[in-house]
Amino acid sequence: METAGQIVSWIYQYFDNFGFLLLAGVGLILIYSMMGVINMAHGELMMIGAYVAVSAFHAGAPVLVAIVLAGLGAGLAGVIIEQLVIRHFYNQLLSSLVVTWGISLIISQGTLLLLGPSVMNMPTPLGSFSVGPFAFGVYRLVMFAAALVLIGGVWAIFRWTRLGERAQATMENPAMARALGIDTRRVYMLTFGLGAALGGIAGAMFAMTATISPFFGQNYTPMAFITVVVGGGASPILGLAYAGLYLAGVQTITSNVFNEYVGYVSVMAAAFLALLVMPSGISDFLERRRTRATQR
Amino acid sequence: MELKIASLTSGYGRVQIVNNVSLAVRPAEITAVIGRNGVGKTTLIKTIIGALPAASGSISFGAADVTRLGPAERARLGIGYVPQGRGIFTRMTVAANLALGAGVGRAASPDLERALAFFPILGKRLSQLAGSMSGGEQQQLAIGRILAGRPGIMLLDEPSEGIQPSIVQEIGLIVRRLRDEVGLAIMIVEQNLALIQAVADTCLVMDKGAIIARIAPGELSDPDVAQRYLAI
Ligand SMILES: Nc1ncnc2c1ncn2[C@@H]1O[C@H](COP(=O)(O)OP(=O)(O)OP(=O)(O)O)[C@@H](O)[C@H]1O
Ligand SMILES: [Mg+2]
Repeated sequence: METAGQIVSWIYQYFDNFGFLLLAGVGLILIYSMMGVINMAHGELMMIGAYVAVSAFHAGAPVLVAIVLAGLGAGLAGVIIEQLVIRHFYNQLLSSLVVTWGISLIISQGTLLLLGPSVMNMPTPLGSFSVGPFAFGVYRLVMFAAALVLIGGVWAIFRWTRLGERAQATMENPAMARALGIDTRRVYMLTFGLGAALGGIAGAMFAMTATISPFFGQNYTPMAFITVVVGGGASPILGLAYAGLYLAGVQTITSNVFNEYVGYVSVMAAAFLALLVMPSGISDFLERRRTRATQR
Repeated sequence: MELKIASLTSGYGRVQIVNNVSLAVRPAEITAVIGRNGVGKTTLIKTIIGALPAASGSISFGAADVTRLGPAERARLGIGYVPQGRGIFTRMTVAANLALGAGVGRAASPDLERALAFFPILGKRLSQLAGSMSGGEQQQLAIGRILAGRPGIMLLDEPSEGIQPSIVQEIGLIVRRLRDEVGLAIMIVEQNLALIQAVADTCLVMDKGAIIARIAPGELSDPDVAQRYLAI
C-alpha cells in the first residue's frame, strides 16, 4: 500500500504540474501563435478572472457560474487592452513584451490602489481521496480535466467555426487573408479576447487553490511564459501539449528527488536545454522538419 | 467590372516604385503587364489590391472609388488576387482554401461547383492539405479559390512561375475561358512569352515603374521587340 501510494503520488503530481502549465499557458499561447505577441499581462488577466470569480462566489453564485463570469470579465478586459494598445504592436516581439509588461504593472498596481493589499479566498471544492498513507485533492484532477476541456474547445473553434477558419488563414498569411476579404483586425481582436477569457477562466480555477491579491498574476506569468516559449507558436495546441508534457515531467521528477525549489529551477534549466536544441520552440521545430520532409 | 487607374504612384515607405501609371482593364478583356525583373509589376498589383497604399492618383472599380479602401474591403467588392508565389494556406485543406474564396465579391456561399468545373483535379484533393500539393496544383487552387467567390476582376501575378510547361498551357486555356465564358476582367503580370501570347488581348510594357508602351501580343514574335521589353 505504501508503494502504491507513492506511485499514485508521483502520477498525481505529474498531472497536477501538467494541468498547471496547460491552464496557465493556454490563453497565452493562442495569442502568441496568432499575433506574435507574448502578453506579459496574462497573469493580470488571470487575476481579474480570480477577483471576478471570488466576488461572484461570495455574492452567492455557484462555482461554475463564477468561472464563466471570470472568463467573460477577463475576455472583456482583454478586448479593451487589445483595442487601446496591443494591436499597434503585433508581430513586434520585443516592443510588445515591454508594452504588455507595462500593462501588467499598471493593472496590478492599480488593483492595489483600488482594493488595497487585502487578500481574498475561495474554498477548494470536492474534498479528497486517499491511497495508503497519502491523501489527494480531487480538485487538482478536475483542474487537469478542465485544461483538457479548454484546449479541446479551442481546437473545436479553430476546426469547426468560420471564425476558426479565418483565424487559421490569418495566422498563416495575414496579407493573403485580407486579400480574400477577411477583416484580420477583427480576427485579432476576437482571438485576443478569447485568449484573455481563457486566462480569466484559469485564474478562477487557480483562485480555489491560492489566495487572491493584486499580485496574484505574478505566480503564473513566469511559468506560462516559459511553457509558451518552449512550445513555440507554429501550432498552439501541439506546442502547449509538448511543452507541458516535458516541463511537468522534469518538474515532477526533480521536485520528488530533491525538493520543490530544485523542481522549479529545473524547469528553467529544462527550458534552457530545449531552446538550445529548438530555438523557436518545439512546435516550430517539428513543423519545419515536416515541411522539409514533404518537400523532398 | 472595369478597373481604372489614373496617375497612380506608390512604393515602399519613401522609395517610390510605381510611377504615374494610368490604365484600364475592361470586362472580358485580358490585359498583360510585362517587363523585366524588378520593374515594379508586383508593386503595381499590390497597390491595386490595397496591400500597399497609393501615394497619389486614383483607383476605381466599377462605380466605386477604392483608392482609400483597405484590402479586405476591395476584395469584398470583387477584386480577386492570385499572388506571385500563389498565397495558398498550406496548413489548411484544399476545401477550406476554396471556401475562403467566398469573401471575394461577398458570395453568400462558396461556388465550389464553378471552381471544380474549371479545375476538376481539385475535386480529388478536397480533403488534402493544400501544402502537400505540387506547385502546379497549388496555382490551380489559387485561381479556383477566386472562382469560388464572385470576382469582377482577376489579377494574376506570374502564374507560370516555377510551373511545368504543360500546366502553364492549361492555365492559359482556362484564363481565356474565364474571359469568354465568365466575362471576367483579367490583368496578368507575366514574363513567359508563350503564355503572354496565348492569352493577352493587349500588352502594357512596364519599365522603372512606368508604363512605357502598349503593344499587341503579336509584336512579341519579333525577337528584337521581345528582347527589348522582356530582356530574357
Ligand atoms: N518590401 C519591399 N520593400 C522595399 N523595396 C521593395 C520591396 N519589395 C520590392 N521592392 C523593390 O521594388 C522594386 C520593384 O519590385 P517588384 O516586386 O514590384 O518587381 P517585379 O516587377 O514584380 O519583379 P519580378 O519580375 O521579379 O517579380 C524592386 O527594386 C524591389 O527591390
Ligand atoms: Mg513580381
